[in-house]
Amino acid sequence: MLEIKNLHARIAEDGTEIIRGLNLTVKAGEVAAIMGPNGSGKSTLSYILSGREDYEVTEGEILYNGENILELEASERAAKGIFLAFQYPVEIPGVATMQFLKVAMNEQRKYRGEDELTTPEFMRRVKEAAAELKIAPEMLRRPLNVGFSGGEKKRAEILQMALLEPKLCVLDETDSGLDIDALKIVADGVNALRSPDRAVIVITHYQRLLDYIVPDTVHVLYKGQVIKSGDKTLAHELEANGYADIIEAAA
Amino acid sequence: MNMQQAIKMTAAETALVDAYTAQIGDLPGDGSVLSVRDTLVHELKTAGLPTRRVESWHYTDLRTLLRAVPTADPTAFADRVEALVAGATVLSVRNGHADLKGNAPEGVTIRSYTDSLLDGSAAAGLAVLGTDDAIGRINGGLVRGGLELVIADGTELEDPLEIQLVQSLGQAHTRFPVSFGANTKATVIERHLSTNAAESLISSVSDITVGEGAEITWIVLQQQGAADTHLGQIRFDLAKDAKLHLFLINAGGKLVRQEIHGKTSGEGADFKLRGINLLGGESHTDVTFTLGHNVPHTTSTEIIRNVVFDRAKGVFQGKILVAKDAQKTDAKMACNTLLLSDDADLSAKPELEIFADDVQCGHGATVADIDHTQLFYLMARGIPENKARAMLVNAFVAEIVEELDDEPLVEALESVISAWLEKHA
Amino acid sequence: MPAVQETIDQVRQIDVDQYKYGFETTIEVEKAPKGLSEDIIRFISAKKSEPEWMLEWRLDAYRRWLTMDEPTWARVNYPKIDFNDIYYYAAPKGTTGPKSLDEVDPELLKVYEKLGIPLKEQEMLAGVQKSKIAVDAVFDSVSVVTTFKEELKKAGVIFMSISEAIREHPDLVKKYLGTVVPTTDNYYATLNSAVFTDGSFVFVPKGVRCPMELSTYFRINEKNTGQFERTLIIAEDNAYVSYLEGCTAPQRDENQLHAAVVELIALDEAEIKYSTVQNWYPGDKHGKGGIYNFVTKRGDCRGKNSKISWTQVETGSAITWKYPSCILRGDGSRGEFYSIAVSNGHQQIDSGTKMIHLGKNTSSRIVSKGIAAGVSENTYRGQVSAHRKAENARNFTQCDSLLIGDKCGAHTVPYIEAKNSTAQFEHEATTSKISEDQLFYCLQRGIPTEAAIALIVNGFVKEVIQELPMEFAVEAQKLIGISLEGSVG
Repeated sequence: MLEIKNLHARIAEDGTEIIRGLNLTVKAGEVAAIMGPNGSGKSTLSYILSGREDYEVTEGEILYNGENILELEASERAAKGIFLAFQYPVEIPGVATMQFLKVAMNEQRKYRGEDELTTPEFMRRVKEAAAELKIAPEMLRRPLNVGFSGGEKKRAEILQMALLEPKLCVLDETDSGLDIDALKIVADGVNALRSPDRAVIVITHYQRLLDYIVPDTVHVLYKGQVIKSGDKTLAHELEANGYADIIEAAA
Repeated sequence: MNMQQAIKMTAAETALVDAYTAQIGDLPGDGSVLSVRDTLVHELKTAGLPTRRVESWHYTDLRTLLRAVPTADPTAFADRVEALVAGATVLSVRNGHADLKGNAPEGVTIRSYTDSLLDGSAAAGLAVLGTDDAIGRINGGLVRGGLELVIADGTELEDPLEIQLVQSLGQAHTRFPVSFGANTKATVIERHLSTNAAESLISSVSDITVGEGAEITWIVLQQQGAADTHLGQIRFDLAKDAKLHLFLINAGGKLVRQEIHGKTSGEGADFKLRGINLLGGESHTDVTFTLGHNVPHTTSTEIIRNVVFDRAKGVFQGKILVAKDAQKTDAKMACNTLLLSDDADLSAKPELEIFADDVQCGHGATVADIDHTQLFYLMARGIPENKARAMLVNAFVAEIVEELDDEPLVEALESVISAWLEKHA
Repeated sequence: MPAVQETIDQVRQIDVDQYKYGFETTIEVEKAPKGLSEDIIRFISAKKSEPEWMLEWRLDAYRRWLTMDEPTWARVNYPKIDFNDIYYYAAPKGTTGPKSLDEVDPELLKVYEKLGIPLKEQEMLAGVQKSKIAVDAVFDSVSVVTTFKEELKKAGVIFMSISEAIREHPDLVKKYLGTVVPTTDNYYATLNSAVFTDGSFVFVPKGVRCPMELSTYFRINEKNTGQFERTLIIAEDNAYVSYLEGCTAPQRDENQLHAAVVELIALDEAEIKYSTVQNWYPGDKHGKGGIYNFVTKRGDCRGKNSKISWTQVETGSAITWKYPSCILRGDGSRGEFYSIAVSNGHQQIDSGTKMIHLGKNTSSRIVSKGIAAGVSENTYRGQVSAHRKAENARNFTQCDSLLIGDKCGAHTVPYIEAKNSTAQFEHEATTSKISEDQLFYCLQRGIPTEAAIALIVNGFVKEVIQELPMEFAVEAQKLIGISLEGSVG
C-alpha cells in the first residue's frame, strides 16, 4: 500500500535536512509502528506523507497504491484515503465541529466522484461514531478543537478517522497527553478500524500505546533513516534497553 | 475661527457649503437651530474638511479622499425593502425622509426629527463633539430628517426595531436621538443600504441614551453601494447598570467613516463593541472609536475583525480613556486583521489613556494572513485549498456574530457575510 | 489596601529630591554670547576649526529651522522655549577639544570621579573596574577626553569626538552624517544640525568586533546652556559594536534644553547595540527646573541581515521626547527597542519607537515598560509599518504600564500600518497597578511593603534590564529604585 524509497526531505524555510534516505514499506492490513528518540524525524515523516508545504522533498519517492503522491495537494491525498491524526490537533475558532465534519466528508466524496451525503445520513453516521467513542453531542456543536481537553481532542481525531474511512491512517503520537482510560478508548477506536484493506502507521515514543494497538511490524527511526525493523518484540526490547544499543549497532 | 488666511476650498467643501446655501430657507429649523447650522457651516468653510494633520483623521484624509459630492436631489425615490429578520418593526427612512406611517410597538413613542428641528428642541443636540467633529458639522448643517424614539421605562421589545435607511442617489443627512428608559430591553437594527449604483453621500448621527438597568443591542449594518460615501456617527451614554451591545458590520461603500463615541456615566455600566469590516475593491473604511470610562466600576470589551481584499484600505482607531476617579475600570480592546491581498492596506491605532491606578486595561492588535497550520489541517481532511480558505475567513468573522444570542438575527447576518465573501473572495 | 496607600503617600512626600548628581562645579568657562544667529553658528564652527562644507551644512540647517514650527503632537506641556535665551556654546577654559588624560584640568577629572565615571585607563587596566570601557567625556559643549583611543585604533576602530572626526576623517563624516536623520527631519534635529557642539564618532571597519564597550558620558554643567550633541556610529560589513550613553546635570531652577541627534548605520551583517541610561535632572518636587530632553535617535539597517538594538532606561528629565527608531532597509535586517521609562514628580515622558519595515524578511521587537508615579504623565508612542515590498515583515510589540498612585497618567499610542499581506504584526498592551494579590503574597512571606514593591517593579522591568550590558544593568536597577523615591530600592 505504501512504499517510501530513499526519501530525503528538509524544512523549506531554512533548508535543515530532516529525512535522510528513508525506506519503508507498509502493506494493506498491516499495523506498522514507528519509534525513535526525539528529533529523529517521526513527526516530519507524518507531515510529508500528508503533504504539508513546510517541507521539501529533495530526493526519493512515496508510492501510495503504486502512485507517486508527492505532487498531490494535502486535500487530494486526504481524499485518496490518507489520514493524519495530529499530535496537536489544531483549534479553529468560528468553525463548528459538525460543520467541519460535513464539509470534509462531502468534499472527499466529491473528489472521488461520489454523491454528497444527505443531511439525515450524515447525522446518523456522526451520531453512531460519536457514541462509540463516548463523545457527547454537545462537544460537536462547539468550534473545532477549541476548549477541548487533551483527551477530547484525540477522541475527536479518531472520530474523524472513523467517519472519513481512510485507507492509510497515520497516528502521530496519539498517546501523548492521554490518561489510561482515554488511551483505551482511542485504542479501541483504532482497533475497530483494523481491516485487511486498511493500513495503520502508529508513530510513538513509548511502548505503552503498542500494548493496546498491537503492531505487526516495528521500525526504529533515527536521524531520518529507518535503522532497524522487526516485529512487535522489537518494541519491548526498546522499552527495556532504550535506543542506545540499536543506534550503536547501526552506526 | 482665527485670523488665518482662508484656505482654498476643495470641490467637495464648496459643494457642501453650496448645498447649504442653496437650501437656506428650506432647511427645517427654528431660529436657534438655524443659528447653530450657520455656525457649523461657517466652521466647515473656514476650517475645511479634516486632513491627516488632525490626529483623529490621521489615516483618513477626508479633504483629499472626498473628491466630489453628489448634488442633493429632492425628487429621488427609493423603495422600502424587506426587514432583515421576520417580525421586525420597520421604521423606514428613504433618501433622508422618515416615513411615519405604521404602528409603533407598545412603549415606543416615535416622532419625526424634522419636527424637533422645527420647534427648536433639537438645537442643543446639534452641538459638535469637538473641533475635529467633521461628521457632526456636516450633519448638523444639513440634516433634514430622522426619527426621535423614546422607549418607556420597563418596556421589553420582543421583536427588533429596524431603522431602515434606503438611499437611491444624491444626499441624505439624518439624525436619530433614541432614549431607552430604565430597565428596557430591545434590539435595534440600524440598516443602511442603497438601491442602485448611483453615487450618494450619507451622513447619519444616532444619539443613544441608555437608562438604568436597560439592556440594549444595537446593530449597525452598512451596505451602501460601491460608489457611496458614508459618514456615520453613533453617540452613546450609559446610565447605572446599563448594558449596550453595539454591533457593527461594514459591508459596502466607497469611502466610509464610522465613528462611535460614548461614555459610561453610571457605575456598573457595561459596553460591548463587536465590529466586522469586510473590505474589498478600492474602498476606504475607517472605524474610529472613543470610550470614556468616566465613573468607577464600569466595564467594556471591544473586538474588531477586519478582512481586507483587493486594493481596499482599512483603518481602526480605538481610544479608551479612563478618568481620574474611574477606579476598577475593566477595559479590553482587540483588533485583528486578515490581509488577503498584496495591495490591501490596514492601519490600526489602539490607544489607552489612563488616569486611574486601580484598573485593568489592555489592548491587542494583530495583522496576519490566514493561519497556515489551520489551512493544512483542513486540507489534510480533504477540503480543497480555496474552500478551506473561505471557511477560515468566514470563521474569523462568524465567531463574533455568534455572540449575538438571537438565532434569526445571527442567521440573517451570517448570510449577509457569506454573500459578501462569495462575491469578493 | 492600606499598605499600598502608605507607599503612595511616601512617594508623594519624598518626591524627586533624591537626585544625587545635582551638584554644580565651578569651572572657568568660555561661552559664546547668548542667543542664536548665523554669527553664533560661525563662532561654533570656527571654535572647532571646521572645514567650510561643515559650516555651510550648519547654515543651511539653520535657515531651514527658521521656517519650521515646534511640534505639538506629543503629550507634553511646557512653556514656550525662548531659543534666544540660551547659550549655544560653553567650554571649560582652554579646552578646544579632547586632550590626553594628564592634560585635562584636574577639577574636571574630579567631576567625573564624583559622577563615578571611569576615565583613568590605568585604573581600569589594574582591574579596579570589572571590564574595560572606553569613555568619551562631553562636558557642556566639548569633549574633554576620550579614553582607550590608542588601543581601539590598533583594532581598527575609530572612537573620538565628532569635532575631531570632522577634522581628521572628513570623508567618512561627509559620507554618513545626515544620511539617517536628514537636516530637514524635524524641528529639534534641524536645530541640532545647525548648532551641534560635540558628541561621539564611532567607526568599526569590515569584519571587526569592537574589543570593548564604548561609551559617552554627557554632563551639562553651565547655567542656561543648551547641550546639542551629535553622535554618529557606523558599523561596516560584519562589524559589531556595543555603545553606552549616560548623562547628568546639576540641580537648577531654570529649565535647560538638550537636543541631541544620534545616527546609527549598520551595513551587511553588522550589529550595533546602543544603550542609554538617561538621568538628566528631572526638576524638583514642584516641577521647577529640569532638563527638556528633545532627542532624535535613528538607526538605519542599511545592509542585509544587519541588526540594530536600542535599549533605554529613562528616569531623568522634566520632559522627554524621544523615539529611537530603526529603518529596516536591508533584507533580513532586525530592529529592537527595549525601554523602561520611569516618571515621577511632575515629569512628562512621551517616548517610544518607530520600526519601518522596508526590506524583505525583516523583523522587529518592541518591549516597553512604563512606570508612572507622583503627578507625572507617561506616554508610549510607537509606530510599526510594513511597506508594500516588505514581504514577511514580522513585529512583536509588548507595551506595559504600571501606575503607582492615582494622580499620574499612563498612555499608549501605537500606530500599526500594514501594506503587505505577508506581514505579521502582534501588538499587546496592558495597564495595571501592582496587584494586591502579588503584594499580599510577598507580605505573607515576610517581605515588607517597600521591598515587595521593589521586587515587583524589578520583575516588571526585568525583560528590558536583561538587555543592558552587565555594568549598566546594576546601575539602572538602582536608578529606577531611586527614581521611585524611597518606595523602592
